[in-house]
Amino acid sequence: MIDGVTKAMAAGIRRSVVALALAGTVLGGCASGDTGAAEVWDPIETPNRFIFSINRAVDIIALRPLAVMYRDLLPEKAQTSVRNVLDNLGEPVTAINEVVQGEPKRAATTMARFLVNSTIGLAGIFDVASSLGLERTKEDFGKTIGLYAGVEPENGGFYLMLPGIGPSNARDGTGLMMDYLVDPFRILTFNLAVDWDWYQLGRYGVSVVDYRSRTIFALDDLEKNSVDYYAALRSAYTQNRAELIRQKREKTDAKGELERRDNLALAR
Amino acid sequence: MPLPVSRRVVFRLAAAVAASSIALPALASDPSQLVAGVAAEVIGIVKTKTGAARQAAILQVLQTSFDMPYMGRSALGTHWNQASEEQRARYLQAVATAEARAYSERFGQYAGQTLTLGKVSNRPNGVTMVDSRLNQSTGQPIKLEWEIRNGKITDVKVEGVSMVMTRRSDFNSYIQNNGGKVDALIAEMEKRAANQ
Repeated sequence: MIDGVTKAMAAGIRRSVVALALAGTVLGGCASGDTGAAEVWDPIETPNRFIFSINRAVDIIALRPLAVMYRDLLPEKAQTSVRNVLDNLGEPVTAINEVVQGEPKRAATTMARFLVNSTIGLAGIFDVASSLGLERTKEDFGKTIGLYAGVEPENGGFYLMLPGIGPSNARDGTGLMMDYLVDPFRILTFNLAVDWDWYQLGRYGVSVVDYRSRTIFALDDLEKNSVDYYAALRSAYTQNRAELIRQKREKTDAKGELERRDNLALAR
Repeated sequence: MPLPVSRRVVFRLAAAVAASSIALPALASDPSQLVAGVAAEVIGIVKTKTGAARQAAILQVLQTSFDMPYMGRSALGTHWNQASEEQRARYLQAVATAEARAYSERFGQYAGQTLTLGKVSNRPNGVTMVDSRLNQSTGQPIKLEWEIRNGKITDVKVEGVSMVMTRRSDFNSYIQNNGGKVDALIAEMEKRAANQ
């Protein structure tokens, strides 16, 4: 009986934490105002900069050298295969997001890609689906929230530097959590009670190295050509995410977006 | 005599169409010609020049085709108003040098990149946006958007990331963390320019 009550309480607390996180995203969105990307709302800048300095230390000592070796030593074809496998594992989450974004046709294409590549493409090593004309898309919950949030896409709530992951904000951080929760691979391993922690860890590790190897050039450039790397990265991240969300919005409301952009340019 | 009349009409129509088809694209494609010209010039420089010669040539392109004073002013934001004439001049000089160096290092060796021009859209506020794609020999093409005001380029967006906006955020933060003084930023940029 007491056990039941504690369980119910725990569930209640868990629920309210999620609600709080979502409310924080929405309220944060309102509070910061639409200031554009020049001034990113960063109320926890001091802790963010602290995390950033740790991330950079790890990056300089371990991650970047590893990524450079990966890029320069591994044959181009092997790198493509690794990327294909990782992309394939991410397709179900993209499909779920496309359903939530109100694009069932796109979701169906994504699932078709997943089925084709997982079988004929040998567990995703070969991207057969693309040669069949099934175009790849990549969606995440941060973009889904951004699509529906009635604010500037530059406004993702407060800026957040995540340990090990890097730049994010309230919107994309929540999105990351949601993507993790709905990932069928995670749910599957959890339900089968298989100890697939190593699989998850391996997938995460490889995707980090793969992602870093593709951002070496851009991040080196940004660091070299800025006087405050933290601030430059904060701005670049916010603008890039906003662009992705804007592309999604433009499909549904092209004219409104153009007018809004003009007004923004006039205000600038 | 219906035939000559109609022939005259046809001729006039043809003339009008010819005239408009000459005049309209000339007006509309001016900004994209500017962008195409800059791309061709830069590719030419990257192919033939290296080191200091390349940087000088790039600076030349920046000063003729880009509105550097406008970009510099936007990047400094509200701090521009507090700066003295002498500070502004030094700042603009430092920014031009930094930008030229950044570009000459960014391209490294020419690796077969080409620029494909896309849609040109005129905004009611006098700004023209030129969409383009930088095709690489390997990997995905990069999306570049050019912002043009009064016949000069005032911003370049790479995958949605505006150069001017990023600089502005960068400079603003640096100034704020150094006692709100523009001098600190200018000194830092001059130091960097002298270092290489």
